[in-house]
Amino acid sequence: MTSYIIPLIFITVLVLSFFKKKDAYAAFVDGSKSAVNLMVGVFPFLLAIMMAVEIYKASGVSHYVSSAVGPVIELVGIPRELAELVIIRPLSGAGSLTILEGIYKTYGTDTFIGLSASAIYGSSETVFYVSAIYFSKSNVKNLRFAIPVALLATFVGNIVAVAMVRMMM
Amino acid sequence: MSKAWFVMLLASLIALVITNPNDAVTAMIRGSQGAVTLAITLCALYGFWLGFMAIVEKVGLTDKLAKILAPVVRFLFGKDISPKTKKYLTVNMSANLIGLGNAATPMGIKAIESMETEGQTKASLPMIMLVVISATSLQLIPTTVIGLRAAHGSLNPTAFLIPSIVATITSTVVGVTLVKLLGKVLPNKEKSKSMKSEKDGYAWSSTEK
Repeated sequence: MTSYIIPLIFITVLVLSFFKKKDAYAAFVDGSKSAVNLMVGVFPFLLAIMMAVEIYKASGVSHYVSSAVGPVIELVGIPRELAELVIIRPLSGAGSLTILEGIYKTYGTDTFIGLSASAIYGSSETVFYVSAIYFSKSNVKNLRFAIPVALLATFVGNIVAVAMVRMMM
Repeated sequence: MSKAWFVMLLASLIALVITNPNDAVTAMIRGSQGAVTLAITLCALYGFWLGFMAIVEKVGLTDKLAKILAPVVRFLFGKDISPKTKKYLTVNMSANLIGLGNAATPMGIKAIESMETEGQTKASLPMIMLVVISATSLQLIPTTVIGLRAAHGSLNPTAFLIPSIVATITSTVVGVTLVKLLGKVLPNKEKSKSMKSEKDGYAWSSTEK
């Protein structure tokens, strides 16, 4: 579905620019100018997060924390096998994708755990990452209640995701 | 954020010193290399989407989109939003909605930049709203997961879609409601708190210097 939407939007925009006699090429070049600059601002945050997530996983602390958190999230219906996914998901997209793959390999894609993991990953975002990146060019460093609220909302979403999968099975 | 990072890093380092000190530096460098790889990919994606968005802007579509989404923007972010910010917000939300997180990010950064007033250190309510909306973003078609499920031999790669969509809507509704509520309950005037978190900010940004 998406494979049609995006190219069609492109065609529409290009055709429009032709009829409105706007120089699409000049606009494109002008727009992409700021990309590298933007990345220079984002990079330190990217580095700090990914470095920390990598050592967190490699050190085994992730496993300990997950096995401690497992029984707690089971109280709200999330299988304990998904603890690591639920914890890493807000931190790193790449890191949690590896975990999702591990879950598929261990439990299969179409089991209760596999489907729940899919729904959790598909319905949530990298909360910490998004908030660090969005403020990378800003002097505002105190986000007040933004992160706690986003995390709580995500967690409620996780609970709903698993409950829905259970209902469907 | 800085606290989460600090605790994670410290705990991992202590654990590795006890169990396997050889791995500590290797793991951190591996993570950093991952960041470089991702940064290069993102550079390409940002450049591409920013270029495309500039054409969209040039032909006047952004203004149309902003007009259509004006009621949504007003409900979420209030009335005191400049027209420029409104445009960034509109493009950001539209991109997120069709699953283009990487196209949404540059616009999110610009929106935050344009909302900032001089000397501001604490996030304003519209800023918080933007973070929460993006962090709980409505993902209607999670293409990555569908692809990965298919690659791992799923008989029905899209079987999780309904739970996923219900969950993503729930999280966004919960997030928006909480921001609205907390924005009314918690006034943005606690002096002692702002001092404390200012230190937080420095700790986060000056760790590698």
